[in-house]
Amino acid sequence: MKLARRKVLQLIGLLGAPSVFLLVFFCGPLLTMLVYSFLTPGIYGGVDWVFSHLNYGRILGWADTRYEKFDPVFLGIFLRSLRLAGLTVVTSLLVSYPAAFWISRMSPGRRDFAIFLVTLPFFVSLIVRLFAWVLILRPTGFLNQGLMGIGITSDPIEFLYSDFAVILGMTYVFIPFMFLPLYGSIEKLDIAQLEASSDLGATRVQTFWKVVLPATMPGIIGGSIITFIPSLGNFIVPSVLGGAKVLMIGNLIEQQFLSARNWPFGSALAMMVMAAVLLLLVVQLRLARRGDA
Amino acid sequence: MLRRLLSLYGLLFFVFIYAPILLVVAYSFNANTLNMMVWSGFTFDWYRQIFGYETAITDSTSYVDSSAQLYAAIRTSLTVALSTSVFASVFGTALALAVARFRFRLAGFYRTLMMVPMIMPDIVLGIALLIFFITIGMNLSIMTIIIGQSTFLISYVFVTVSARLADLDTSFEEASADLGATPMQTFRKVTLPGIAPGILGGWLLAFIISMDDLVITYFVAGTGNTTLPIHIWGMLRRGIKPEINAIATLMLLFTIVIAGVGLYLRSRRTK
Repeated sequence: MKLARRKVLQLIGLLGAPSVFLLVFFCGPLLTMLVYSFLTPGIYGGVDWVFSHLNYGRILGWADTRYEKFDPVFLGIFLRSLRLAGLTVVTSLLVSYPAAFWISRMSPGRRDFAIFLVTLPFFVSLIVRLFAWVLILRPTGFLNQGLMGIGITSDPIEFLYSDFAVILGMTYVFIPFMFLPLYGSIEKLDIAQLEASSDLGATRVQTFWKVVLPATMPGIIGGSIITFIPSLGNFIVPSVLGGAKVLMIGNLIEQQFLSARNWPFGSALAMMVMAAVLLLLVVQLRLARRGDA
Repeated sequence: MLRRLLSLYGLLFFVFIYAPILLVVAYSFNANTLNMMVWSGFTFDWYRQIFGYETAITDSTSYVDSSAQLYAAIRTSLTVALSTSVFASVFGTALALAVARFRFRLAGFYRTLMMVPMIMPDIVLGIALLIFFITIGMNLSIMTIIIGQSTFLISYVFVTVSARLADLDTSFEEASADLGATPMQTFRKVTLPGIAPGILGGWLLAFIISMDDLVITYFVAGTGNTTLPIHIWGMLRRGIKPEINAIATLMLLFTIVIAGVGLYLRSRRTK
């Protein structure tokens, strides 16, 4: 009895302070944001404590008052963010998959070193990595110098400030996110199965579609989700490489807080991002459960 | 044939990952002050200038000295990263110990809860914290940066320490208790040394992520508390200047040394 009570006290000692901290400074802010998304924006940038669903109405279509009007541009930016994040996932999958395959076939010592090399850039400052791409893509940059040097083009091509630059930048930044889960499932691939498949007369392409791809699906899904989530709400990459031309939902949210000063509307936009992420995770959980059954 | 092709691709993959970074390093030694993209000779001037020496660059009329802001940003970043990483390490380790070494009903809930801050899009957490601090009337300062970053860095330490705890054999702790050690003695002499590499790893990870955090810090820093990434972001927005190359290279060196040590420690202890 005495022992049990001491255990409980120990447990409370360990859990107490961190739990209170997270309750106040993690759950608290998220709840405040949820509440704000249903409030009326004040005229001078503050907030009026009056319930309003028009923040969502402005995005999704039912708002039609003098100050709060539906504008399809918001939904357009949201859809574009979904598309750019989706394209980032596809690109990083295509870039990482063969590389993960290659590394998984190395000798153990070289393999560890190769994985170390893929992981290392994750620790290099994000802003430094993006700056590197500015140097490469700008009109006087490395790429244009090269292209003009070999005579492919006579005038510099504007690579920066385009969807291409943003997708390239996000792919580059999130490669470790895609690579590691992919590698995890490719490494587990049973060589005997591949051999059996080719012994039974399957071509390489058939073996890939029927054996390799299904076996590595968990890694593909896992990598895709953790690449998609930070891409969707990203606003650093589009603001450095996309300029004012490629606006993503993250930039729109930032504007609501730092220039437009419409916090309730910004909160509603952020809730849309949250909703998309949660929906994705629920779908993934469903798929994982069905896979187990 | 296919194998050759794959190897060739693999090499290209590493070129893709490292060429941009190496390019920044190379151009940080470029002597050309007028057009930074045209190589005109080797120089250490950009570095000398960061460390406050007189250089040819300083004499140029177009040059604007911003090293005072740079130093201030580095100081802020180090203060924040040191405080946050220590704070997150203590809380993250406490939570990991509770979940791994005690049987209670909410253990599974805590395990899931600790995943949430890591998958939360950082812009969502950033603005949520901003609204919250303003609403409860807390002034934005270094303190709010530390609190803001801790909310998600606790999770990173939790995961790292939990992995270590899972590998640690509980029979040592049981033996220690059977031999009459108090729980505090067992913790100090057996558990803590056992999970120390995990805590160190988690602390390093938290330190690096804190040094690099841009989004959360951007929203909760307020005016006057510029961290290093925000300072560089500001420089980028005002136009590309060659000194960014040198600052970036120094940051690169710093993070690669820390990350290298961390990853090396981890690879050694899993063997």
